[in-house]
Amino acid sequence: MLPVLGQATARAAESGVFAHGVASGDPMPQRVLLWTRVTPTPAATPGSGKGPTVQVHWEVARDAGFRRVVRRGQVSTGPSRDHTVKVDVDGLEPATWYHYRFTSGGATSRTGRTRTAPARRATPDNLRFGVVSCANLQAGWFSAYRHLAARDDLHAVLHLGDYLYEYAPGEYGYGQSNEDIRPHQPAKEMVALGDYRQRHAQYKADPDLQELHAAYPFIVTWDDHEVTNDQWKDGAENHQPDTEGDYRRRRARAHRAYDEWMPVRMSGTADLRDGTRLFRRLRFGALAEISMLDLRTYRDEQADQTGVSDPERTITGTEQMRWLRDSLMRRGPQWKLVGNPVMIAPVNFATLPDELTGAVNDVTGLLPEDGVPYNTDQWDGYTTDRNKVLRHLLNHSVEDVVFVTGDIHSGWACELPKDASDYLYENPGRVTAGVEFVCSSVTSNNLKDITGDPTGVTSTAVEEGIKANNRHIRYLNFNDHGYSVLDLTPERAQMDWFVISDRADPDATVRWDASWVTRSGTSRIEPADSPVGGAR
Amino acid sequence: MSAGVSVGRRTFLAGGAGAIFSTVLLPGGVAAAAQGRKRAYVVVVDGCKPEEITPTLTPTLAALRAGGLNHPQAHSMPVMETIPNHVMMMTGVRPDRSGVPANVIYDRGLGETRTLDQPSDLRAQTVIQRLNKAGFTTGTVLSKEYLYGIFGERATYRWEPAPVIPVSGHAPDLATMDATLAMVDEHDPNLVFVNLGDVDRVGHTDFTGALDARVARHAALASTDLQVSRLVDRLQSTGAWEHSLVVVLADHSMDWSPLHGTVSVGAALEADPLLAGRVAIAENGGAELLYWLGPARQRDEAVARMREAARSVDGVLHAHPRTKRFLRLGPEAGDVVLYCEQGRRFSEDPFSNPIPGNHGHPTTIPIPFFLTGGHARVPRGRSSSLQARTVDVAPTLSSFFGVGGPRGGYDGTNRLP
Repeated sequence: MLPVLGQATARAAESGVFAHGVASGDPMPQRVLLWTRVTPTPAATPGSGKGPTVQVHWEVARDAGFRRVVRRGQVSTGPSRDHTVKVDVDGLEPATWYHYRFTSGGATSRTGRTRTAPARRATPDNLRFGVVSCANLQAGWFSAYRHLAARDDLHAVLHLGDYLYEYAPGEYGYGQSNEDIRPHQPAKEMVALGDYRQRHAQYKADPDLQELHAAYPFIVTWDDHEVTNDQWKDGAENHQPDTEGDYRRRRARAHRAYDEWMPVRMSGTADLRDGTRLFRRLRFGALAEISMLDLRTYRDEQADQTGVSDPERTITGTEQMRWLRDSLMRRGPQWKLVGNPVMIAPVNFATLPDELTGAVNDVTGLLPEDGVPYNTDQWDGYTTDRNKVLRHLLNHSVEDVVFVTGDIHSGWACELPKDASDYLYENPGRVTAGVEFVCSSVTSNNLKDITGDPTGVTSTAVEEGIKANNRHIRYLNFNDHGYSVLDLTPERAQMDWFVISDRADPDATVRWDASWVTRSGTSRIEPADSPVGGAR
Repeated sequence: MSAGVSVGRRTFLAGGAGAIFSTVLLPGGVAAAAQGRKRAYVVVVDGCKPEEITPTLTPTLAALRAGGLNHPQAHSMPVMETIPNHVMMMTGVRPDRSGVPANVIYDRGLGETRTLDQPSDLRAQTVIQRLNKAGFTTGTVLSKEYLYGIFGERATYRWEPAPVIPVSGHAPDLATMDATLAMVDEHDPNLVFVNLGDVDRVGHTDFTGALDARVARHAALASTDLQVSRLVDRLQSTGAWEHSLVVVLADHSMDWSPLHGTVSVGAALEADPLLAGRVAIAENGGAELLYWLGPARQRDEAVARMREAARSVDGVLHAHPRTKRFLRLGPEAGDVVLYCEQGRRFSEDPFSNPIPGNHGHPTTIPIPFFLTGGHARVPRGRSSSLQARTVDVAPTLSSFFGVGGPRGGYDGTNRLP
């Protein structure tokens, strides 16, 4: 049984010293990272650079009442780090629930709950993760986070990127007309360090997101919008050097704010000064290991159709590719999860009518450019690197590889074919390298939103067209927003897709949409009758 | 392929179904009798891929897997060939301790390549011998002539494969299971080690092309499943099931390559003046062993040059120095171990290895591996995330029967709780 949350707060964001909530992340068998932000004086607002240096005490207990405190300490924070606090707590027991809180200047934070990973050689019966991506605050309410937080059967939450968006109010919001359900702060595109800090602060003030952070440790990676749209190693679609300055300097500021504001160990530590390497592995006993990828920082610029197979181009960079192939060897734990910010399964959009791809040729990059059959921002635009990964998996018969993906604002379940062009799903001898499960967006526009067809008929037609032309894709949902739950046992991995009723409704309800399973040793997928833990 | 079994003081015993077993009689002219009620059956579905066991294609195997303790992460060990992995199953030690690294080696003494099918090739003690020493009886029912050869007279009861299909050198599963059941009926050994060769041999010897080979393989899987069901039915009908541990696994998996998918490193080796004429190659399907025949003082340089030459050839996945620790291959395996890519096979001359189905390379590592049977120690309906390996069979049998292992311990791990 899981302990009940220590503090069942109502849906009001906190204010005062701990207005941005608490968070934890990157669980290891004996360590977990704790996060908060203090506002010691009214002037010490995020991004302001103002306010005193203060001491913050933290404590970790086995119980929500803090009668059995197992670790405590204090750290100082100040304006140089935007008054954020990151503590890498050591000396904990594996696979154990803990409660934590912070105090500063007489104020006490809410209580957060976190859980350590199983011991290295442990054989847990199951692991269960919430899976989310693409939460655009302007496009709606984060009901998906709230419903995920209400579950009491998860071990951690995987966030696959686009945790926040860079746009100014009016630029990218709800639906075709980009209406802002909630306008971004500051009221401009984030470019300066202070902008990034303020935007992180706005997201961290969201009560639904605060609830989820307080309930479970997060395991995060970024996609493009944590810096700016369609970023690559030396630029981005939404970066104009003439007016916004040097791209690398902008990115360094974005990475700095991310390190300050996110419960993640960058370059392996809680220290803000030692680099921003985000790709990393987290092990969960003998059952699973998660390799979180960074597919933005080292990639070459997106190419047109002729450049996608240029052997010189990379999406991972050389070092990360070596590291990823090492992650995907069989000597490690059973399930090899890859936290993958953009889709790796090949998707041929050639059957789509031109007028439709034109109509949705939106800043989302949801569908490819007019006339191009691939989304070149995904692994489809970097086929040499994809072949390196898939050939590696096939050459070594690495089993039980699951790519868990975000970015594309839609739910997908796919097999990863050796050769998509001659792939027959009905052929029991088909050669597959692994599977991919893609979660939907929390709020960011999907195809239904972009086409403006409220019935979803258009996007459903697109779904059927894509599946007919891509037989390895078995499930596709372009119509809904929500979250997923990934459950791992030695027998199988199952992904459940849940969808919310209306992102414009702060009290949106949730329903189960679909579940897909891959049985161990098969690299195949099949539908499942019901979600784990029962339908909600 | 020479069976070359040395015939010692061997006595033939006629089985009930006409099968002939050889055994060594005890003083007084009586055959040994089993000790206690415990029985263990190790059934090797040679060359079976884990995903080929499905409720529709192989209902018996699928039900056994679902009802026992399944290891979805199970692996063949280098070199992923039949003889070394059967030897690892029965010795519980890796080839650097058993002397059996591959099916085919270059024999430096003989100056030629040969199959490791002599009883003296196997230097480590087997769990078969440990059980015999502890008073248990053992039986081997091995469908392939070279397996019959290398295990020699170690078991209390041995079946010499017959009839043997000429090209494949193996007995069909029907005959193998007839012999297994006859051995169980007549002598009921505590341990029976069975190799069912049809699934592997169909994969190897079908010359008609990949798709037809798959159809034939499906037929072989279904037929082998039927043979396994005969054993299960027999054990259940006699009540032996309640006291039995049944280990089902494969020795390696299988990979298919198109006719033109061959890889040959001979020309690249010959092109190097240091190596020309001074390297022997032992072909093992998806793996090759390279042996330096020149002076020992040039070995290090030669190993580096062999690796470089091999890696320049399209289709070569790895060129490991044989001494690499994870390989655990002894000097019998030569100096360099080559693996090919998935969908390829080694073939050093136009006439060697024309067959589409191959193994030995890393893509053929995953195998089915599960423990079943009615004995109280066998878990019911469970899967484990821990890795299992062919080398785990002997320590599992050791634990089941309560007999000790080799000095220095097993390299494998007992998989019973």
